[in-house]
Amino acid sequence: MEPLIEEAELARAGSPTDAMASPAVDPEKKVDTRRKSPTQIALARLRKDKVAVICASIFAFFVLIAIFAPLLAKLEGQDPTTLHQDLIDQYGYPTIPPNGEHWFGVEPRLGRDLFARFVYGARPSLIVAGTVTILTTIIGVTIGLLAGFVGGWLDRIVSWVIDFVLSLPYLLFAIAVPAVLLTLFVGTAENAAAQDVANARFFSLIIVLSFFGWASLARLIRGEVLSLREREFISAAKVLGVPTRKILFKELLPNLVAPIVISVSMALPSYIVVEAGLTFLGVGLTEPTPSWGLTIAAAQNYYRADPLYLWIPVLAITILVLSLSLLGDSIRDAFDPRTRR
Amino acid sequence: MLLYILKRVLSAISVVIVTLVASFALFFLAPTDPAGVICGPRCTPERLADIEDSLNLDEPAVSQIASYMKGIVVGREYNTGGTVRECSAPCLGYSYTLGQPVTKLLAAALPVTVSIVVGGAVVYLLVGILTGTIAAQVRGTSLDKLVVGSTLIVQSIPYFVFALLVALYATFLPDSGYHPFLDNPLTWASGLLAAWLCVGLTNAAAYTRYSRASMIEALGQDFVRTAASKGISRRRVVYRHGLRAGLTPVVTIFGIDLAFQLTGAIFTESIFNLPGLGQLTLRAFGQYDLPVLMGGVLVGSVVLVVMNLVVDIAYTFLDPRVRLG
Repeated sequence: MEPLIEEAELARAGSPTDAMASPAVDPEKKVDTRRKSPTQIALARLRKDKVAVICASIFAFFVLIAIFAPLLAKLEGQDPTTLHQDLIDQYGYPTIPPNGEHWFGVEPRLGRDLFARFVYGARPSLIVAGTVTILTTIIGVTIGLLAGFVGGWLDRIVSWVIDFVLSLPYLLFAIAVPAVLLTLFVGTAENAAAQDVANARFFSLIIVLSFFGWASLARLIRGEVLSLREREFISAAKVLGVPTRKILFKELLPNLVAPIVISVSMALPSYIVVEAGLTFLGVGLTEPTPSWGLTIAAAQNYYRADPLYLWIPVLAITILVLSLSLLGDSIRDAFDPRTRR
Repeated sequence: MLLYILKRVLSAISVVIVTLVASFALFFLAPTDPAGVICGPRCTPERLADIEDSLNLDEPAVSQIASYMKGIVVGREYNTGGTVRECSAPCLGYSYTLGQPVTKLLAAALPVTVSIVVGGAVVYLLVGILTGTIAAQVRGTSLDKLVVGSTLIVQSIPYFVFALLVALYATFLPDSGYHPFLDNPLTWASGLLAAWLCVGLTNAAAYTRYSRASMIEALGQDFVRTAASKGISRRRVVYRHGLRAGLTPVVTIFGIDLAFQLTGAIFTESIFNLPGLGQLTLRAFGQYDLPVLMGGVLVGSVVLVVMNLVVDIAYTFLDPRVRLG
């Protein structure tokens, strides 16, 4: 380190440090010496990216809708569970168009308020996807770090488990496992209350998605750690007697920020899609939970008579996922300059 | 080489066996009540006991797994209310609700899924590779940017939303439904056309990006320049010399994708009402039909493991640069 500091000192004094360097160094010129971490550089790059800023704002908009759902519904004066049977004709079709009282109109058949169901529906999507993303990231990073750093038999077992999880038919299990988990949580489904079943579905969805989600990140982190652990700074830390836990989380982890951030930004939209998709198929969340997937599934039978019923959740989920994916793409470009187009 | 293949085969077999035991434990040994489900709401204790006996639910766990495994290898017999049913190997049990052997149900469902996946693959390979190759040649132009941008957007639209909108609004396409190929290839194709287009167009986006990236790399290689300098026509250089080298990575991705699509065509099947593997599993979920769920999961695992194995081994032949460690 010493010669570098000397060089810097010389440069500040105005004398050339290298015979080959140009002698015309202006001693008055202030050099910006603020140190920037790679993360800060990436964030600065991201802030300049117009697509990223727009997509992030759209995402923030949906998060705000989800957080303030009760407030928004109250503003409209409705709630997502009240049945307005008086607004439904004998064939199940709503008799009123969207108006000041029901901003998006009411549901066919049950007559629940669509705006309230829309704002509340943002919640399960974001909560399930967010929770699963956080859980899989924590599990994947921890296991990947341990397997890569400790090596030996632990690595061999973990690698096998990762291969195992990745070679399971994910969607088939996502359908089959909740069937079993449900009976574990609430017993035989026939005498269970609807709310209990809905809660059990919610948790089993999170469990199943988390179980299948951690493996690919763990594999990625393990690979990175395998190459990082041979580097000098890790050897130095080992020689100095730094405890393993500290090496893992203080020395290795900061070097893994880029792959982790990239993986999180890709995972979030994909879990939103999986949640909505499984719910749409009838194996994810269930009534009375308001969810866009459920609304889409119910609305496909009314797509001609009541297109708004179908198109609101369809557009909402498409815009949300589209902006998150594009944001993820920008984040990847910002954090990993090699992929820049 | 032989050692590598042997090692991969062994590990594949271990994955299948663990999947089998783990899912058996999950489905049959968890404190669930399959007999109660079959028996229905108006159930007498005698009938319940009879069903439990016929499912061997009263036996210890290990012997249940052993008889299930034995059923797969050599077949087994089921005792239902005094009548004995022969279930020949590979036996995966009887459906609780349909009363048919699971293997028969799976055998009926698999051709549907395979038809969807293979037909879709033809569409996305053709569209994706062609678009990708063209985009690679005009790299940096506005056409290229348009292609890359639209692939990004197509890839980001949730698949089930796309498929649903096609199913609801693209009424000019022939009605979808499954008719066996051997009965009439024409009705078979027209019934699957909408599903093929959906699978094909959404996946084509990914393949456009793969093949664009790998064609850009291939066209920058020395042998392409040499070929061009010998005076070979541009078309021939691109499609004969470049494409052949550029496709190797795409083929690998394709192998793995194909396996996942075979086990994940659920959305397509459910939206276009095609009775494939995914719909079978979905129906079994609704009716708590454990043997069918278990069979579907097992077949899916085996398909996935075998495809991965084939891709891994094929890759070592395709690309001599792959070193076996």
